[in-house]
Amino acid sequence: MASSVLKVSNLTKRIKKTQIIHDVSFDIKEGEILGFLGPNGSGKTTTLRMVVGLIRPTSGDIQICGHALKEEYINAMSNVGCIIEGPDLYGYMSGYKNLELLGSMSKDVTKKDIDEAVSLVGMENRIHDKVDVYSMGMKQRIGLAQALIHKPRLLILDEPTNGLDPQGIHEFREIVKKLAEEKGISVLISSHLISEVQLMCDRVSIINKGRIIKNASIEDMLSTGEVIWTLDDPGKGQRILEETFEITSTIDQRGLSANLDISRLPDINKAFFDAGLRISLVDNKKQTLEDLFLSLTHEEKI
Amino acid sequence: MIALIRNEIQKILLKKKMLLILFLLLIFVTLFSYGQNYAYERTIEQFEAETSETAFDWRVPAGQRLDDLERRRSNESIPDEVRASFDREIQQLNYFIDNDINPITPTAFKFNAEFAEQGIVLFIPLLVVILAADLVSGEFSKKTIKILLTRAVPRWKILLSKYLALLMMTTILVFIVAVLSTLVSFLFFRELGASEPVVTGFSVFEGQLVSDSTVLVSRLQYSVFIYSLVWFVSIIIASITLLISVTVDSSSSAIGILMASLIGGQFLQFFLAEWELVQYFFVTNLDLTRYLTGSYQPVEGMSLTFSILTLAVWGGLSLIFSFIIFNRKDVLV
Repeated sequence: MASSVLKVSNLTKRIKKTQIIHDVSFDIKEGEILGFLGPNGSGKTTTLRMVVGLIRPTSGDIQICGHALKEEYINAMSNVGCIIEGPDLYGYMSGYKNLELLGSMSKDVTKKDIDEAVSLVGMENRIHDKVDVYSMGMKQRIGLAQALIHKPRLLILDEPTNGLDPQGIHEFREIVKKLAEEKGISVLISSHLISEVQLMCDRVSIINKGRIIKNASIEDMLSTGEVIWTLDDPGKGQRILEETFEITSTIDQRGLSANLDISRLPDINKAFFDAGLRISLVDNKKQTLEDLFLSLTHEEKI
Repeated sequence: MIALIRNEIQKILLKKKMLLILFLLLIFVTLFSYGQNYAYERTIEQFEAETSETAFDWRVPAGQRLDDLERRRSNESIPDEVRASFDREIQQLNYFIDNDINPITPTAFKFNAEFAEQGIVLFIPLLVVILAADLVSGEFSKKTIKILLTRAVPRWKILLSKYLALLMMTTILVFIVAVLSTLVSFLFFRELGASEPVVTGFSVFEGQLVSDSTVLVSRLQYSVFIYSLVWFVSIIIASITLLISVTVDSSSSAIGILMASLIGGQFLQFFLAEWELVQYFFVTNLDLTRYLTGSYQPVEGMSLTFSILTLAVWGGLSLIFSFIIFNRKDVLV
């Protein structure tokens, strides 16, 4: 079992008398990308800021690579790289100077590390220009490089693609995916852009009004459990389902459809095949993340 | 820690604050020394016109000034306080003449001391404020505080590095004020006057100027002493500015609050001098150099030691509160 890179348990935050975050718990395994999805004002940013030590939690515990943030701040934070709401850099310095300055704040960041980070985000050509003259996309790249120079095991990205054009979003996504796959970096990414989360993440936590209301892998979350077969003889298929698998099914113009546990699908298909049925299409019906998100967050709004 | 301090110094330098301050200083120092030189040349012209001699003797205008003061003090309609101040000046002038100390010819060292004496209450504190006001609040208003505080460095270390960098820059600033005012005025006066004697420690006892406790030091020693006081005041102002900078989230509010306290504090001293609490306000205590004349008391009962202690307490408390607030602050920008 892969160990948890980030483990958040029973986190709460109260500002004055309003409770903003209620008992939030989640964890991230090595190399995993967790999407944090929620409408504006749901507590995404507050939660992420507590994880990186910008806001102190009212109660609860945060562990990064086994180090408690409260007690072993330095050890915990040396494993974290982050962009919190947009790349905010020192505008009066060059991009390189920014990286040098921030690099010197961590142990053992060499010139080579900085150069690697720069080439990873593809900023070699303009790195010595002042940040003030960079475009949003370029700042975002430096922002990402800044989060990576000290080789963190956990990357925390809060609304990282705000203000980027589609091209920029795509490139950003590719870089983050590559990091998770090749270097085993775990990523916690918050967004209110559903499509982005769907394309990028392994798992999703949906948060609303300071509570996590759903926490599952993208696959599980989207699957409705309904499968539709298009067969040459749907009646025979229905009998096989009934007799061998004890599953009730219906036949309509779409084909043979049934609700079942997706893990049984390969066995069923094999049984159909062995019985000489010709399968032209098996469709695992999915709802879109958008539908799910809206249905989950809508109920609570009223 | 050294890397952190170096970073902070780089930030201050790259913001080009020092250049702005240098520019302001250069303008003011040049203006003042030009003005003083102009006034002095007029005195010489007047002397030559009146006596038709070419060798300027400072005793003549000093004597004239003395006569003038005597005449004005015998005017019955002037208030007693003014007469007392005339008395003091007359006694001082007499002392200068008796001891052959030239109070009239301007020199570079006389100028740098005067510049510091005038600047210590407002001008130099303002320069420090320019340098320090956005130290922390600037990181908040530009939102860069987020990349600064998410490194594996505890918050107190970040604030300490900022404070130490500020102390260094403030020290350099005071040094620049001293050097610049000496150099620029030397260009005008052509007279360094570093070894001229200075009399300090006149004290007033029952309306009489007592010169028993006076000390004769060289101009150089005197300036070093004056600038040590300026340095002390600057450090205290820097610490108070740090507290304001940590407390508010925008640099402009920080500058505004400090300007208001510096300028408003001066008014307080005039209008509420009777009120006892005024003497514990830091602005009332800034004018350290004026205690050196021996007769200065902004509020009854204040002394150099009292002011230095009061300022030290202000500085110390500001620092403690800065660290507490910075450590607990939630970053919401």
